[in-house]
Amino acid sequence: MTPRMARADRNGTVRSAATSWRRAGAIDDRALAAIEKTYPDERQGVGPVLGALLFFFTLISIGGALGFFSVIGDAPKNDFFPVLLLLFGAGLVIATDFQVTRMLRARGGVEAATSLAGIGFLVGFAFWICWKGGWKEDHSFAAMFLATALLLAMAAWRWGYPLYAGAATAAFLWSFVAFPGARLVWIVLPLLVAPVLTRLSESPRLPPSHRDSCAFALGVALAGLYTAVHLGSLDSRLLEDWYHGKLLASPILRGLSIAATALVPATYLAVGLRSRRYVFLLLGLGTAVASLVTLRYYIHLAPLWVILTLSGAALVAVVLVLRRYLDSGPGKERNGYTAEPLFEEMGRRRMLEAGAAVVSLSPEARPVHEEPKFAGGGGSFGGGGASGEF
Amino acid sequence: MNPDVADAIPRLVEAGVLPPDEAPRLLRVARGELLSVHWELRALLYVGVLLITGGVGLLVKENLDRIGPVAIAAGIGLAAAAALGWVIRVAPPFSWREVPSSNLAFDYILLLGVLLAAADLAYVEVKFTPLGPHWSWHLLIVAAFTALAAFRFDSRVVFSLALSTFAAWRGVSAARFGTDLWWNALWSGAAEDAVRWNAIACGALFAGLGFALKRSGRKAHFEPVAATLGWLLILGALASGMGEQIFWWPWTLGLLLAGLGLAAGAFLVRRFPLFAFGVVAAYAALSRLVLDGTADTLGCFWFFITPILVIVGLILTQRRLKEPA
Repeated sequence: MTPRMARADRNGTVRSAATSWRRAGAIDDRALAAIEKTYPDERQGVGPVLGALLFFFTLISIGGALGFFSVIGDAPKNDFFPVLLLLFGAGLVIATDFQVTRMLRARGGVEAATSLAGIGFLVGFAFWICWKGGWKEDHSFAAMFLATALLLAMAAWRWGYPLYAGAATAAFLWSFVAFPGARLVWIVLPLLVAPVLTRLSESPRLPPSHRDSCAFALGVALAGLYTAVHLGSLDSRLLEDWYHGKLLASPILRGLSIAATALVPATYLAVGLRSRRYVFLLLGLGTAVASLVTLRYYIHLAPLWVILTLSGAALVAVVLVLRRYLDSGPGKERNGYTAEPLFEEMGRRRMLEAGAAVVSLSPEARPVHEEPKFAGGGGSFGGGGASGEF
Repeated sequence: MNPDVADAIPRLVEAGVLPPDEAPRLLRVARGELLSVHWELRALLYVGVLLITGGVGLLVKENLDRIGPVAIAAGIGLAAAAALGWVIRVAPPFSWREVPSSNLAFDYILLLGVLLAAADLAYVEVKFTPLGPHWSWHLLIVAAFTALAAFRFDSRVVFSLALSTFAAWRGVSAARFGTDLWWNALWSGAAEDAVRWNAIACGALFAGLGFALKRSGRKAHFEPVAATLGWLLILGALASGMGEQIFWWPWTLGLLLAGLGLAAGAFLVRRFPLFAFGVVAAYAALSRLVLDGTADTLGCFWFFITPILVIVGLILTQRRLKEPA
């Protein structure tokens, strides 16, 4: 990330917070305009709808171009296709770099599509090289995952794409699956990097995109750790199947796995609740649900309908009690938590709403009456931090 | 935690941009000292409701013989009544305008009550068959009940459920009975087209309903739900006709015209999600029309060049929108 991009990124996060404050009625239009003037964001971007359209059509165009040149060069017959992959991959990566660092494009759709396709083509080329070099298939896949991890990590660092950092961590972990001891690596590596990534995800020295990248990588690493210690993954030999390796059928190992399946979610939740770190809270909840499902799988406590109905009712009850508990605290908060909507970034809210909408294919529920009244209009167009709807 | 925002807040207060009384709370949020779990609690409530309804569905399926149909129907009915009873008790008075929810759990308990009532009705219909061969009409009854609840309690979630249940009624009727009342009245063609025409008719009805709601100012905030679902049904139905062996082209042409019309209309009224639907639909239809029977090379060339033209068009459109009116 160039210094110019980092500055724009930092300013962008302040502008984004100011937009949330405006929506919540904490500041007026004049204050918002003053903040936007003080913290300019020169990055060029579009709204989510146009961004999605541009991304979609760019990918079609790239696919069409690759297909066109493949057909013209009769690629399947003369090994021309890998060369095309390399040329297209390199070209698209250079094009992305130009768009992001020189044209300062951010959330524009086109540069996201070119980056994704470019990395994909280069990874395909890396796999072809290994395969042609006579490597075993699983080693070729390991090399492909390693190449993917490297490219994605570089892209996350250079262009500030947090999602790529998470994907890079996942690819890096998967690259070990072709070798013995993968489970151990999946346990040791996250334990080693988690404290570092946690600190980096909050470091003022890093620009916001890099902090987010560290948070994404942390989340994936912690999910990897849970997968490695999970009883179901041990019993199904999830991480040993690739290289047909043997796993000691030790009762001690199984006992440890059972304990870890219960303790890891509890630890994540405890760390999350104590430090108010969202990654740990989210993972704690997710892994707790996974562990409860695992418990139901191994031990038949009751018929499934009883489990579902009771757990649903218990969840609703817990939420209502929690809400009441938080509301009854001084200033409607307890231990740094509140059930009131705050001026937080809209991304988290949108993610949760989108998740609920996807699950139910329905619109989100309406706001409750005590919510701050959002006074924001449709937003504006352009600008990396713009919230324009188009 | 956001160190950049935490760093900016004192400067903004000093510059007189931020009101000093707001700053401490903003600063606590930015420093990660105060975390809101508002949206997480709502998401968990939703998951809870889905778990309960899933459990009830399994109960009906697995315990039919053991518990007995009357007990199951009565049990689910009681649970639905309890949920809806609570909703009626705490609901604010009816208004044609948007009414803020009285409670965090209101929409979700309402949804639970409606889903349980619908499940109960479906169970009664399957077990006791009061509607006989016209069993699909129970979906219409559910749609009407759900719509009533949506309007009374001002819930867009439940309104979308009402519309999708209505569409399901038409879909089941057409697919199961092929040539039914609507179909015979409209057309005497092949039965497989019945579902498609029903979807188009439903879509048009929903889009029209949305327009009427907005025009009349009564529950105008329901309009996006109706319009989006309506247009999805219309475009989806037309797109499904593109796979026909012989008469694919009338459907494709219809999709092209509908997509172009939707994109143009949505552009004029600044409805960007609908604009996106229109652009994608029109592009898919145009590609199908142009590429029918052409060689691979031409096909690849088409998909290489035309998206670039679309991208240029979209960027120009965006610039046009940015210009002052």
